Amino acid sequence: MQRITIDPITRLEGHGKIEIFLNEEGNVANTYFQIPELRGFERFCVGRPVEEMPLLTNRICGVCPEAHHMAAAKAVDAVYHVDIPSTAKKLRELLYMAFYCTDHTTHFYALGGPDFIMGPDAPVAERNILGVIHKVGLEIGGKVIQMRKYGHNVVEIIGGRKVHPCTSIPGGLTKGITEEQRKEIETMGRWAIEFAQFSLKIFNDIVMGNPQYVDLILGDIYTHQTYYMGLVDANNKVNFYDGKVRVVAPDGKEYVKYEPKDYAANIAEHVEPWTYLKFPYLKNVGWKGFTDGASSGVYMATPLSRLNASDGMATPLAQAEYEKFFATLKGKPVHQRLAIHWARLIELLYAAEHWVELATDSEITSPDFHAIPTATPTEGVGIVEAPRGTLTHHYWTDERGVVTKVNLVVGTTNNYAPITMSIKKAADSLIKKGNVNQGLLNMVEMAFRAYDPCFGCATHSLPGQMPLEVTIHDVEGHPVKVLKQFVD
Amino acid sequence: MPLRGTGRSPLQKKMKTLVIGLGNPILGDDGVGWVVAEHVRAVLANQQSSILNPQSIEVDCASLGGLSLMERLTGSVRVILIDSIFTGKKKVGTVSQFTLNDLPDLNAGHSASAHDTSLRNALNVGRGMDVLLPKDENVIIVAIEAENVYDFSQDLSLAVAQAVPQAVRIVLDLIDS
Repeated sequence: MQRITIDPITRLEGHGKIEIFLNEEGNVANTYFQIPELRGFERFCVGRPVEEMPLLTNRICGVCPEAHHMAAAKAVDAVYHVDIPSTAKKLRELLYMAFYCTDHTTHFYALGGPDFIMGPDAPVAERNILGVIHKVGLEIGGKVIQMRKYGHNVVEIIGGRKVHPCTSIPGGLTKGITEEQRKEIETMGRWAIEFAQFSLKIFNDIVMGNPQYVDLILGDIYTHQTYYMGLVDANNKVNFYDGKVRVVAPDGKEYVKYEPKDYAANIAEHVEPWTYLKFPYLKNVGWKGFTDGASSGVYMATPLSRLNASDGMATPLAQAEYEKFFATLKGKPVHQRLAIHWARLIELLYAAEHWVELATDSEITSPDFHAIPTATPTEGVGIVEAPRGTLTHHYWTDERGVVTKVNLVVGTTNNYAPITMSIKKAADSLIKKGNVNQGLLNMVEMAFRAYDPCFGCATHSLPGQMPLEVTIHDVEGHPVKVLKQFVD
Repeated sequence: MPLRGTGRSPLQKKMKTLVIGLGNPILGDDGVGWVVAEHVRAVLANQQSSILNPQSIEVDCASLGGLSLMERLTGSVRVILIDSIFTGKKKVGTVSQFTLNDLPDLNAGHSASAHDTSLRNALNVGRGMDVLLPKDENVIIVAIEAENVYDFSQDLSLAVAQAVPQAVRIVLDLIDS
């Protein structure tokens, strides 16, 4: 595979390379979406004390270290067969709600939202957070920064430091919070609810109020009939931190609901010769290729998937938005991928509401935030919903608690097959008889950006763009056109 | 590492300089920024009491980019970022120095970015909110050409490890300048 880099770049965030092969008629025969993969994490972990995993795994990815910290913390609890105290669970969940608010806010205002707020046809120079500020108003920039600041603050108060929390240990947490900190967290959470409502209003006014955008969302180009996955609580309501994994079929009916420890009986990984990344699929449905439908094991795990796979939201304001969402989009499940952006904002509201619920819980300041593990460690699975998909950590240890094996299924990997399918569908509609629509790059970007993909798992990047190159080949495999974005 | 003198009194160092080693400390050469920053911190700790105003220099390590990095730079007038670089065109271990202004003009925005906006964009967002942030020309990047940034490891490649003293010297000179 040809390697293309930006010069100078200090670190690739993940290099998207798309190859499109045409048939004799000049239409799309196949598309391939390749990205680099970080290697050797399992080897790096083997031989280390398992309680280090919540600290190590949050260095895997610079985008969602909090999600890895939580999945690892739960897996380590399971390895030690320890039930953590109610207060510890609530504190972890409270941290996680604040993280979700930060992460979903960043995606909507810096990444996904500009496509709509500025318009998919707007010059690339305007389709960014600066463009959004210019169009919506200066105050929006301040609100985004404030939301991120509050989210970081809560992570620091509970997690010990910003972005890379360090307080989860086997059996709970190393520390609790004071009444003064609780009040501060509550105040920030109430502001977050207003911010989430404000964000939904922007989406309603600018996106749903524009027939052109509604047509784009409801159109066929970004629609796939697949299975949907998400964690649910005992009432089948969306849950980010805990519960069972529920999968619904393309017709919306429950296909399976399983405990995290049973993930391997339900998920398998397909290998393709052209990429190092694997394609997870529903094991008991089977891999039938990159194809839609109930007979194909392809599933999606995103904010939209979580709404589709649940019976509702566990908080009142988010529940009202949930109902409006499915009423507006006429049916459940919603198969249109661009609706992920809307679903993400409903989740933002849920996270903010639940943040306040937890901050006002009578147990939240209890000193009972840790249970000492006493059982011999063996193996354990921890699953949380990362913002961009179901995140699974599975560790095996010896009797001393030293790691012997690790398996991770990270959020975006779940969506590798559906993203590949969406890219092909976008290409199909924009390349006809060898004529390549100039909007191809934008439309392909919109296809994969909706999933909020995180392939590079890099911790930072300067200048921060993901280089993208699309190469189109004729029927004999010769490259006939190259479209580039941020590639030198 | 020889101790270095600044030739300037603490009162002359009024401009706050923030030095950040960027990268992932468990991702091979990507962690070189942290290593260099730790060396710089150690050198300054030895000489700071007599030469530098402790209030004017801050050294940190971080795994941040885009908006998060901008937020970290808040309140700084001058920033030195130490980072790995992967051009594939320079000899591994080559140390480069440039400012944010020298980076390709990617101000066009997030476009294909998977998760955040560019640092330059993020700085512009912050400035628009009247946040105190350094000018682009005052964001200096010291970059070390890397070899392995895809395999998890706490070890640096030999050529990258050998470049650390040079990078430390460059950062210290920048602090002095």
